[in-house]
Amino acid sequence: MPEIGTPALVYMVAALIVPFVRPATLRQILLLAVPVLGLLTFWQLPYGTYGTFNLMNMHIGLMRLDALSYVFGLIFSLAAFLALLYAWHVRDTVQQVATLLYAGAGLGAVFAADLVTLFVFWEGTAIASVFLIWARRTEGAYATGMRYLIVQVGSGVILLAGIVLFYRETGSIAFSKMGLESPATWAIFLAFGIKCAFPLLHNWLQDAYPAATITGTVTLSAFTTKLAVYALARGYPGTELLIYIGATMTLFPVFFAAVENNLRRVLAYSLNNQLGFMVVGVGIGTPLALNGTVAHAFCHILYKALLFMSVGAVMYRTGTSKASELGGLYKSMPLTMIFCVVGAMSISAFPLFSGFISKSLILSASADTGHFFVWLALVVASVGVLEHSGIKIPYFTFFAHDAGHRVKEAPFHMLLAMGITAALCIGLGVFPSLLYGILPYAVDYTPYTVTHVVTQLQLLLFAGLAFAVLIRTGLYPAEIRSVNLDFDWTYRRLLPAALSGVAYLVQGTWRFASRIVMGRVDSLIAGVYRAHGPQGPLARTWPTGSMVLWIAVLLGMTLVLAYI
Amino acid sequence: MTDQSNGKTEGMPPLARLLSGIDKPRNVARLFYLLLAVCVALGLADFFYSKHGYFAVEEFPAIYGLFGFVVYAAVIFLAKGLRLIIKRPENYYEPFAIDTEDERAAGSAPEATGGKPNA
Repeated sequence: MPEIGTPALVYMVAALIVPFVRPATLRQILLLAVPVLGLLTFWQLPYGTYGTFNLMNMHIGLMRLDALSYVFGLIFSLAAFLALLYAWHVRDTVQQVATLLYAGAGLGAVFAADLVTLFVFWEGTAIASVFLIWARRTEGAYATGMRYLIVQVGSGVILLAGIVLFYRETGSIAFSKMGLESPATWAIFLAFGIKCAFPLLHNWLQDAYPAATITGTVTLSAFTTKLAVYALARGYPGTELLIYIGATMTLFPVFFAAVENNLRRVLAYSLNNQLGFMVVGVGIGTPLALNGTVAHAFCHILYKALLFMSVGAVMYRTGTSKASELGGLYKSMPLTMIFCVVGAMSISAFPLFSGFISKSLILSASADTGHFFVWLALVVASVGVLEHSGIKIPYFTFFAHDAGHRVKEAPFHMLLAMGITAALCIGLGVFPSLLYGILPYAVDYTPYTVTHVVTQLQLLLFAGLAFAVLIRTGLYPAEIRSVNLDFDWTYRRLLPAALSGVAYLVQGTWRFASRIVMGRVDSLIAGVYRAHGPQGPLARTWPTGSMVLWIAVLLGMTLVLAYI
Repeated sequence: MTDQSNGKTEGMPPLARLLSGIDKPRNVARLFYLLLAVCVALGLADFFYSKHGYFAVEEFPAIYGLFGFVVYAAVIFLAKGLRLIIKRPENYYEPFAIDTEDERAAGSAPEATGGKPNA
């Protein structure tokens, strides 16, 4: 494969060609070939920086290939392939082009060696991905897409401001370890934090992902947030603040996910919680922790895509993704059910599934460095993961009360995409060395010890037992049709209400003030009119004699004054 | 095991037929006691190997299991409490949200109009 700078180029060129390829099957084959070609451009290259040139005295490097970017490049290519396979039935050119551009921008950003290239692709992911939401073509999706775009572009603008300050400060735009030292690096940190869905900056995720098309959500789940995790791992490893941000991120979505009815939104909360584990890993910053972050991102992209795929397949057949409307689907979609359960067991970190071999790196790293409470938070969050993703998703979709849907099994291409992803989830869980071998740092870690397997099984199965007890006693919260308020209420309701309140006040004050002023002006004009108008005393015609008399009086007074 | 409920399994995929009846109350109870038995066995297993934990608290027998059980229940009860505060009608953010669009498209919420999501 010739050296072409960045694999993003393959995706961009393909996005230009795809709309003109007419036969649908040929177009699908071309789409599937793109991630493969993209992978081949960097697959065998030795580590180093490629596509370098000078632009206005700044060193641009389009592709930095090292141990960190390589793993993310690999998993992004894989995710793009699986998402495109899952979307084989889609005949919508907008979605096809958007998927290519989005995946391409994600790869471009991961390989960026400098902050300017990073910024360009960072904004690229925002702009390309919003079309996966708008492609739903409804009023609600349009509004949701707008909110998503504002947040994402906002992140890009803050990043740009940070880069400008950083360049002024250091004279360099190289993207390497920065740390929180100046306003510049704080701004860049904030930009990364928005895309990484830090607490209170997170609601774009739960808002937008359930609003995208079925296949669009699968694509969205892979790139944006993991790009942010990569950027944090590159720029801020060992930043202590991240440990606490990450621990908070693992905990609070658990409660929102437990009462959420829309299963795609449950998965979005779950995604947020999984990002927390990765952020903790970045914050700890030891080689073991960073390996954990990278491994967890790798496994997470796969099992999260698998879960979104299975819920998407259910939605494709039944037209809904709400727990209250689903149930009993194992009778109609047993294969989808099995793949969903594989995803659920992977994310819950059952032994022999991928989550087990990646999450434990982060937990061990937090325990190794003596962060007892952080470690405890992660264990609590692990139980929470089991609750919303491990049990709730498969149970209320495929079991629970039979909602009466009698539908066909998912289409073959969806089953194939889910099957490959499920096989990867189990494969990584059974053969962890496959993944450990490509991690950035050489760390000797054995996930399968007696202690670890037994304690993990205890944690998960006893929690499962608690679920069974709560279901049998009727204490488990029922799935009801509702929406739940989250922090986005502040900018979807509170802020607009406050603004309209302010507008009302300003308008009232203005009306009052203008009424007073206008009244004064009116009476002034009326007064002037009374004096000077056609009937006013000053407009009367006086006899010449009286004028002469008044002039004589004035002259007399002037003389008197002059002599006094 | 598949011939229960007078031919209801007809038309099901073969794999589903294997599982059919799993949600019958008797089978659910069996699964529950199976899970209970596995949990007890796992708890007892702690006495038969030397544990290598990071913190002293991990040495307590079956601590992970007890912790998992308690935390799970606590999460559920806290979430139920949270729901009292944050629950709103499904059309709360309409028309600037997608929350009822699928139902409107399917006709199960006929009071409103909307488009079918583009798969």
